[in-house]
Amino acid sequence: MSEAATTDTKKKPVPRPAPESAPFWDAARKHHLEIQRCKACGQFWFPPSQSCPHCLAADFAWTPVAGTGKVFSFVTYHRVYHPGFAKDVPYVVALVELDEGPRLLTNIVGVPPDKVACDMPVKVVFDDFEDGVSVPKFTPLDAPAKG
Amino acid sequence: MIEPSRELRDVCAIVGTGNSRLGRVPGVSSLDLLVEAMHNAITDAGVKVADIDGIICRGPDESYAHHQQIGARLGINARFSTTLDNGGASQILGVALATMAIKAGMASTVIVGFGRDSWSRTHSSKEANLRNETRPDSQLAQEFGPEYGYFGAVAAHAFGATRHMHLYGTTRDQFGAIAVAFREHALRNPDAQMKKPLSMAQYREAPPVVAPFGLLDCSLRSDAAGAVIVTSRERARDLRQPPVSIKGFGSFNNLRGWFADDNMVTTAAKKSGAAAYRMAGIGPDDVDTAQIYDCFTYMVLTQLEDYGFCKKGEGGPFVASGALRMGGRLPTNTSGGQLSESHCEGMLQLVEGARQMRHTYPADRQVKDAEIALISGHGGNQVCHSTLILGRA
Repeated sequence: MSEAATTDTKKKPVPRPAPESAPFWDAARKHHLEIQRCKACGQFWFPPSQSCPHCLAADFAWTPVAGTGKVFSFVTYHRVYHPGFAKDVPYVVALVELDEGPRLLTNIVGVPPDKVACDMPVKVVFDDFEDGVSVPKFTPLDAPAKG
Repeated sequence: MIEPSRELRDVCAIVGTGNSRLGRVPGVSSLDLLVEAMHNAITDAGVKVADIDGIICRGPDESYAHHQQIGARLGINARFSTTLDNGGASQILGVALATMAIKAGMASTVIVGFGRDSWSRTHSSKEANLRNETRPDSQLAQEFGPEYGYFGAVAAHAFGATRHMHLYGTTRDQFGAIAVAFREHALRNPDAQMKKPLSMAQYREAPPVVAPFGLLDCSLRSDAAGAVIVTSRERARDLRQPPVSIKGFGSFNNLRGWFADDNMVTTAAKKSGAAAYRMAGIGPDDVDTAQIYDCFTYMVLTQLEDYGFCKKGEGGPFVASGALRMGGRLPTNTSGGQLSESHCEGMLQLVEGARQMRHTYPADRQVKDAEIALISGHGGNQVCHSTLILGRA
């Protein structure tokens, strides 16, 4: 049962997808970053919903994106708000603007917090949680590939 | 463009103000704190409870049908009664709605209030604090947040601060100038929660919470309530207090989201303020004192820009110049604000703005010769905004 994951407060919360975002997490499990793209107007959007916020059409395709973008803004947590992150502080939560337009809330990893900056180019990496869930995070574009 | 109605300018007045005990008030629910503030406002105005025929209020987020519970505690029925849902922007919206209801003949005397028991619920024990920070499962975003360790309003607003610092070179010391100024004001307010002076050195040394914010960039956890009474200018003439005229109001809601567009740097205050200025027939140069929603230091700085007290990007030098202190260009949050008086989601800013327009404060608390006060409300998921402009009647 997935309930077990949430009752252990020492673990990080595992995403529990809404019906409309299940395909995002299915793709992430395969280490693919896919975003909804409108078949009527061609624009991408995020977070997931059943109709395009640009033109309200309901005809879309989950579409792979380049996985690159830049940091729009970010914050550094020094305080532990959840026991699952006690060993992570200080950690960076960022809003990354993908090259395709949508902005994703994420973590910046593989770089010390004081080296993160707005407009810094970044690329996606996947963090494999337990429970078979993978979470897209971002790392500086010039960072070596993660082993 | 839709033009705000000038017919609502100067037709209603705030005739009573009240606050509850502020800070740490153990053993009192948010409902009873609000009723305490309402009783004080009713006494202050010199009206009878039975004269009140309108209630507009809001309680803690989890409360349901809040206005009904308040009516029961006041022992009254009401011609017009409702609960609002715009977070910290609700309180000013309540005064706007009261004005509209009175003008429409739906009510004659409306009480507007808000109360919370955040200290008791969260800081009275470690368990209570953690429970509040992480919220019950039912209220948590299920995805695109908690798995990244993204929790709380501190971080949400800190995103805006980071971006503003990046675009305009705004500094932590400029945020600190806001915290220090408001603490000075709180020391003159006997009801204020914070009683000790604050230096810039203490601001700098405060522990980081979610950088760029440290502890002293964050508003207080408070048990606090406030209330005001709104009636027609005509009725106001027969009441006890110098009436305070409601000159204009506005609202705007960046519902596309705090993370969308440029909303974390140019907030909904810009359009809300423009609407209020048009209704009141004034501009930023006419404002003598501002009571700005200060959940975090940065929010004061960016709203001052959005309201046109300085240009976008120049909020840092503006606040560092001493403009917000008594005797400065724009004495702001003159009761200490949410950073140092008590956090009551904008309700106490509204109370203070009205009191400044009465000119009944001792000299050290009174903004000298103040004729116009501007009050802001900000809330929801950082995207709802409301503005109120008050004047000497």
